[in-house]
Amino acid sequence: MELIISQILNAVMLACTYTLVGIGFSLFFGAMDIVVFCLGDVAIAGAFAIMALSTVMGVYASLSGILPAPISGIIVVFIGACFTAGLVTLMYRAVIVPFEGKNINASLLSTIAAGIVIRELIGLFYPEGRNPHAFPQLLPAGLIGDNVLLSWRNIIIIAITFIMVMLLYWFVNRTKTGLSIQAISQNKEAAIMVGINWHRIIVITFLIGGFLLGIGGFLTASYFNSLRFDMGAMYGLKGFCVAVVGGLGSIYGAIVGGLLIAFVEVFVTAFIPGGTAYSSVAAFLIVVLFILFKPEGILGEKTVEKV
Amino acid sequence: MGNKIYRYSLAGLSTLGICMALYVCLSSALLVALIVIALAIVILSVGERKNVIDKVYRLIGDNKALNLGIIALFILLLPFLVQGNNYLLHIAIMAGIFSIVALGLNFQIGGIGQINFAPAAFYGMGAYTSAFLSVKMGLSPWLGTLCGLLMAIVLGVVVGFPALKARGYYLSLVTIALQIIFTLMIVNSPWIGGPNGIPGIPSYQIGGFSFRTPVALGGIQLPYQVNFLYLVYILLALFALAANRLYNSRVGLAWNAIEQDPIVAACQGINLTNTQLLAFCLGAAYAGIAGAIYGHYTSFIGVENFDFSQSLIFICMVILGGTDNVPGVVLGAVLLTMIDEKLRDFSGYRLLMYGIVLIIILIIRPKGLLPKRIRVYQQKDRSEYSSHSAVVTGGSR
Repeated sequence: MELIISQILNAVMLACTYTLVGIGFSLFFGAMDIVVFCLGDVAIAGAFAIMALSTVMGVYASLSGILPAPISGIIVVFIGACFTAGLVTLMYRAVIVPFEGKNINASLLSTIAAGIVIRELIGLFYPEGRNPHAFPQLLPAGLIGDNVLLSWRNIIIIAITFIMVMLLYWFVNRTKTGLSIQAISQNKEAAIMVGINWHRIIVITFLIGGFLLGIGGFLTASYFNSLRFDMGAMYGLKGFCVAVVGGLGSIYGAIVGGLLIAFVEVFVTAFIPGGTAYSSVAAFLIVVLFILFKPEGILGEKTVEKV
Repeated sequence: MGNKIYRYSLAGLSTLGICMALYVCLSSALLVALIVIALAIVILSVGERKNVIDKVYRLIGDNKALNLGIIALFILLLPFLVQGNNYLLHIAIMAGIFSIVALGLNFQIGGIGQINFAPAAFYGMGAYTSAFLSVKMGLSPWLGTLCGLLMAIVLGVVVGFPALKARGYYLSLVTIALQIIFTLMIVNSPWIGGPNGIPGIPSYQIGGFSFRTPVALGGIQLPYQVNFLYLVYILLALFALAANRLYNSRVGLAWNAIEQDPIVAACQGINLTNTQLLAFCLGAAYAGIAGAIYGHYTSFIGVENFDFSQSLIFICMVILGGTDNVPGVVLGAVLLTMIDEKLRDFSGYRLLMYGIVLIIILIIRPKGLLPKRIRVYQQKDRSEYSSHSAVVTGGSR
């Protein structure tokens, strides 16, 4: 029983890390009808920025001298997330704008290539970038009470994801900018016609998505306790899988899809003998099945292709 | 009459020039090779602006026999030109093998306009099947190659089947997923070597003559690579010919129709299922045979030769050369293989280079070095239709 509960908790945490990058995919697909394949690498770049701030550059140490540790941790993560938001917007300018309105294959390839460039740049220019790094512990360690299952780290990872999703929900449904994003994702031309500044809204969407990605990268690195320059490829791919399973373009779909994929992975690892090696295989197979038989995903809307 | 001889020699000279440029790229240092490539690109773009390129194409197209003869002679003499330098021969062999894979991948990217991210899986399927059968089962490498080809086709159906239902981003996700599943399965299967690969793959033999014995030709001792060079380039010639015939056939036309719009294509009576599966199976067959040859040539295969980054390199080759253009795809594969080998000293920068090259080509020359050409059809009776040439050439003029 205890094993099952701990595995469920584990799966929920994994789902949290997948959900944030899945939301990124859905957000950009909703706003621009485009899949940005380098999101995983961008998120990991954000995690590297946070690690650089707290170790190499020593910002965290100097902040901790003045402020209490949790607050300086939040500041460091915030700066890292802002850096990620900037990076995503840069990606938008560099590899998406030139291909707007052209064949989707061009933007598909360019974003994949951009992901490789980011990954390799980290590997080449971060000090000892190609080796795995231990991610600095910005989240408090230790257990809550004397229950082995509940550690502060786990609770905080889940809580941060929850807060982020709630904030996004509030932003998208309650603010004028958020409603503009929805309007653009429903019908771009009509949205422009009623006076929405399309370009500004797209940039804002990328900034918000990038911020979420930065947090997502931070949570992933904290969850695994380590950081590798090439983690982003798999992370991004899983994020896209999550978005597709949940329904591409649906923010809540990303949550459902994240839970599904994470549960499959964790349970294959835990309950099938020798399953560790095949957890990713199982997750990808599920995605392939979804694309073949329910391409609109769990929560997505069914679209009929028109001539 | 004089004009004809003049055109004849001009065509020969331009082909010879291309061969010499490739030879210089192959044999010289990185810097010289890059300068030659840059020069070629400048000539190409200036030629395009002045409409010279079309004339050159026509010139080469009119004198096919001569040009193919020159290229064949060039390949035949290559071992003597490089004085039996086995490293340069190795690069040439790899260029040939990759060209075959890229030609196969082009059926999907150029033909039906779907990017397949799993060519390295096809390539690896051929290599692993053939290597496994000949090492563990003791099968003849020739039969092993055939089995590799068949297994790759089976994988082609597996990858091609989703392409019937999904397009664009969804298909790319499916193919990436299948490529990664393929890599993971190999790493986790100890019976085919797992992460250690398969060492000691036997070489091809013809009547007791092993392909891995050096040969003495014309008084010069040549390394064993010569055998494989000729084998690979004979196959490449056959496959390129087949690809060209396909491009000009109804199948190639049907593929391009599907690329433009699958629904309209279906309305015109094209069987979407068969035609699309054919693109994947043929591509897989090309890649499978190339992979099998690679295994028997290097005598060792490991999973790192067949992973996702290798797939991306194949895609780079097709996009760089020019999609749906057989000479373009071969040129792209040959150029990238040579640059890649020259950059061995900077191996840490390899993937970075591929990423940047891909982005730059997509922005500057999205159609590749030798862009796809507008299909031109022969007129049956020139005198009757000559005033309507615009109709026949598809409105290009």
